[in-house]
Amino acid sequence: MVYDIQPFSVQDGPGIRTTVFLKGCPLRCPWCHSPESQEFFPQLSWISMRCVGTKICESSCIKACPKNAVELGETSIDSRSGESIQLVHVKRDLCDNCGECTKECYPHALFICGTSYTVEEIMKKVRPDRSFFARSGGGVTISGGEALSQIEFTLALLKQLKAEEFNTALDTTGFAAWKTVEMTLPYTDLYLYDIKHMDSERHKQTVGVPNEPILDNARNIAAAGGKLQIRIPVIPLFNDDMENLKRTAEFCAELGSAVTSVQLLPYHNLGVSKHLRISDTPVAEATPPSEAKMEEIKELFEGFGLPAMIH
Amino acid sequence: MYQFKPVSERILRMRNRIRDRVLIYDSERMRILTDSTMRNEHVIPAIRRPLFFRDLCEQMTILIDDDEIIVGNKGPHLFSSVSYPEWSGTDWVIEAVDKGEWTMRDDGLYHNPDTDDIRYCITPEDYEYMKSVQDYWLFRKNGTMIDAWQPECFEELRDLDISNYKLHGQSIFGLPAGHLIAGYAKIINTGYKALYEQAQSWIDEHKNRLFGEDMNKYIFYKAAAITCEGAMTLVRRYGEKCSELAAACTDEKRKAELEKMAEALLWLSENPARNFREAVQGIMMYQVMIQIYDRTPSPSIGRFDQYTWPFLKKDLEEGTITMEEAQELVDAFFLKLNCFYSGAPILIKDTIGVGNTYQNVTISGMDADGNDATNPVSFMVFETIGRLKLHDPTVIFRTSPNTPKEIWDCAVATSQLVGGLPLYYNDEIVIPALLKEGYELKDARNYGCIGCQEIVGCGTDYPAPNGLYPPHATIWWGSIMDMAINNGINPLNGVQSSLHTGYLYEMNSIEEVREAVRKMGQHIMDMYITVQNYAENLAMFFAPESVLSLSIEGCMENGKDCTQGGAKYNSFGGTATGLATVADSLTTIKYMCFDEKLCTTKELYDAVMANWEGYEKLRQMILDRVPHFGNNDPYADMEFKWCCDTYYEICKTLSTSRCSLYKAGLYGSSDHVNQGKQTWGTPDGRKFPEPLADAASPAQGRDKNGPLAVFCSSACYDQTNFLGGIALNMRMHPSVLSNDSGRDKLISATQGYFDNGGMEIQYNVVDSDTLRHAQENPEEYRDLVVRIAGYSAYFVELGRDLQNDIISRNEYKL
Repeated sequence: MVYDIQPFSVQDGPGIRTTVFLKGCPLRCPWCHSPESQEFFPQLSWISMRCVGTKICESSCIKACPKNAVELGETSIDSRSGESIQLVHVKRDLCDNCGECTKECYPHALFICGTSYTVEEIMKKVRPDRSFFARSGGGVTISGGEALSQIEFTLALLKQLKAEEFNTALDTTGFAAWKTVEMTLPYTDLYLYDIKHMDSERHKQTVGVPNEPILDNARNIAAAGGKLQIRIPVIPLFNDDMENLKRTAEFCAELGSAVTSVQLLPYHNLGVSKHLRISDTPVAEATPPSEAKMEEIKELFEGFGLPAMIH
Repeated sequence: MYQFKPVSERILRMRNRIRDRVLIYDSERMRILTDSTMRNEHVIPAIRRPLFFRDLCEQMTILIDDDEIIVGNKGPHLFSSVSYPEWSGTDWVIEAVDKGEWTMRDDGLYHNPDTDDIRYCITPEDYEYMKSVQDYWLFRKNGTMIDAWQPECFEELRDLDISNYKLHGQSIFGLPAGHLIAGYAKIINTGYKALYEQAQSWIDEHKNRLFGEDMNKYIFYKAAAITCEGAMTLVRRYGEKCSELAAACTDEKRKAELEKMAEALLWLSENPARNFREAVQGIMMYQVMIQIYDRTPSPSIGRFDQYTWPFLKKDLEEGTITMEEAQELVDAFFLKLNCFYSGAPILIKDTIGVGNTYQNVTISGMDADGNDATNPVSFMVFETIGRLKLHDPTVIFRTSPNTPKEIWDCAVATSQLVGGLPLYYNDEIVIPALLKEGYELKDARNYGCIGCQEIVGCGTDYPAPNGLYPPHATIWWGSIMDMAINNGINPLNGVQSSLHTGYLYEMNSIEEVREAVRKMGQHIMDMYITVQNYAENLAMFFAPESVLSLSIEGCMENGKDCTQGGAKYNSFGGTATGLATVADSLTTIKYMCFDEKLCTTKELYDAVMANWEGYEKLRQMILDRVPHFGNNDPYADMEFKWCCDTYYEICKTLSTSRCSLYKAGLYGSSDHVNQGKQTWGTPDGRKFPEPLADAASPAQGRDKNGPLAVFCSSACYDQTNFLGGIALNMRMHPSVLSNDSGRDKLISATQGYFDNGGMEIQYNVVDSDTLRHAQENPEEYRDLVVRIAGYSAYFVELGRDLQNDIISRNEYKL
């Protein structure tokens, strides 16, 4: 179950990469910037900016819905024509994500997020970009959701990518059984590895799972000769206190030469609007950390001899 | 990241003076021309023009500003807009004053309204003078003579309204010469005295014995000798003026500088350059001559770093110059080029931009032996346009696999500061393309770019269709698409062409539709080139170019003017802008009517003819379902390839009396917006008056799979067919280039595109929010530079629909 394939992605690992995002994640991070990646099943998604208004489409989506879950919503101003348009609204309690409305919505304001792909279908999408990967030292990143939650597919894709000599990266929360992670080792050039909090209790409270398996897997990957690019989302009032960050840095330093770099990702609130695509319930919003704060954290990590970067 | 160096105070001052300039319409050239022409009224143009040039060089005002270290002006002011009555250059100014659009202000000058994007003024005396000689020039200007009679097809072409030849338009013979790169290297390495002697010795050898072809040669060399006399006079007068100012100067530092400038100019008046300052000044002096001789021939500078580096290298070795002094000279040179902007009426501004002089500079690339030719002057050019935020001249950055990483870094840092500059060019595609058309290897390796981005030899090539109508040579392919499915009738105005192609609903396969488009394209191109060939023939008689012929290889050797075929290489050319709109239209017909049968040909035909009014749902379905060019989908890309191949094949059938190489191009200033306003709705779902796709880029917003897909799609056709140049525009979100890793990835992406057969790319690094904010708060964004297609401009000076067009393009994040 894939929710997006993003070519020319340069944030997810070295060089120019194509990132394959798998849908479904065992964690529930409140700041998640891709809320649509959390559930394992296809979901109806709604982007108001794309809607051209019910006058033009003759309310096709409303007529198409067998559950009467699509109704007239707010009015808005169309950014292209400047005219007032009538939007629609999805009643989430009635919607069963059947996708009938999306077949009638040509501008893709309503669309199903989550599509099944075969390994070969994905390969067809990444092969044309090989020369760009080669030039930049890039390749393919498998991300999520949590790719390890769909280990069968992830492994098959990794094997095929390696068979065709693509550079591979696995973007993971690290939350999986070690024997699952272990299977990916021979086919993964780099793990993009999230570490969110050093205190397991706090970790569990906030994202729903403890951190021990995550930290253990990181140690095991390092011991087995795997390469790690540690990614730390800096979330205000959650993990941005210097004490926790210092412990995180100590942990990274212990992993030794397995760590190629530490990426410090300042919280941003893009996830808030993306959340509204699949739900009516808003999520909590915080103020992104200041540049000075980020620099301070960077210096802390560098103090441990770790190559740190912001973003 | 590449770090730019500081700018000297006087350079910054001059830069700001240019940004705040008020153009002064000036009659000095007009007065001297009118007097000279009256005296020589019955002398043939080939001699009359050089005689006028010599008069001008003897009489024109010599101005040297306190902030200047590189000198040369077109008129008596720093920002003169010079009059070319022989081409009806400033009639529109007189009209504007007469209509009361320009008003007298407290300074005693007529000014245009403050709401205009550029400020002009004229003195009442100059206005009166210009008006007084309007009648004299009415029947003597070239345009009048040429408009008086034309070959038959002009009428059909004009009435169809699918090209620049139109009813109530300007004369079809609007421009002399056109764009090219003159032989600057020859000028600074030869000197005017040697050129004079070359011409005079031929004349002496043939005294009293002018038989057969000799007469043409005699006229040519006589013109050359007179021209050299003028040239020597002009440069000497600048030298004398510097001496005069030096004598009166109390500031010791400036006095010494003026003395140095005087010495350089007095030497240059007859001799080849000896050092870097003389090389740069020598190029500038010749540039001035080209531009005062005739109206806006838009001579591009070409490979400035290659001409001047040998001099700088020697100076540095001898310790006679510092890198800082050299940089200041380069800064001053580029600012001087910016002083040559002449203003234009609104139609021209909308199409070719405000402040654009088309004096393109080409840097880096390879030398004649194929080695990397990057040198310190290449970096200095980036320093100049990056630090001074100059949108003009266009800078072309030639790259090859040997181009060093340092200059790539410098180029990308420049792209971040100045939208669309430089243009990145791929030697690996361009040089084979030139070889294919018969250029010698050493000349192919020495190419440069002109105009928007057309590829030419440096100082060896006469690539301009004489008498090319402005803004540039193109027919409107969106309209051709419409006419092909409408029995040859342009739905915009109902005019029937003499070619009947049938209606879409009578066609039974995509092959039939394509054939109709091909026939219509050939028919319109045939007529268009017929008119152009006519203009070309007239130019040979009415507008020979004796200043240019001094330097362009082949002319002095053969005794033949460049307009008459004297150059080593001869070509002409034009462009098909927005072929993606045509390709997407074909794909739409194929997908909707023939393959998927989602609508009938009649339904689609009716929708297009109604400009999509009442067919919005069908239009939305097309935007959603039909594959579009730019997404690496072979279904759509094959139609684009078909369009490019067909256009190229048509171009191969065209010739004029001077040349048979028509350089096909996929570029186009900002003409896609202008054409959109005159192209009825098209089958791809585009409504009148929306813009067409720009140049060679995918249609606005139709590319949905990111930049790599655009690169892959763009490599679907053979780019070596397009010596006219290809413009692929890409807008990058600034976050892409926020760190070294992002910049390196952009470089890799560009190189990857070049590996796959890409010829050119240009980047705008700006996000939509900034552009929208700039639209509302122009005063805060005076220096924001963006590229349209064939030129870069200050965003706030663009018309609203051009601004919207840029916003409508996809912006790529990473």
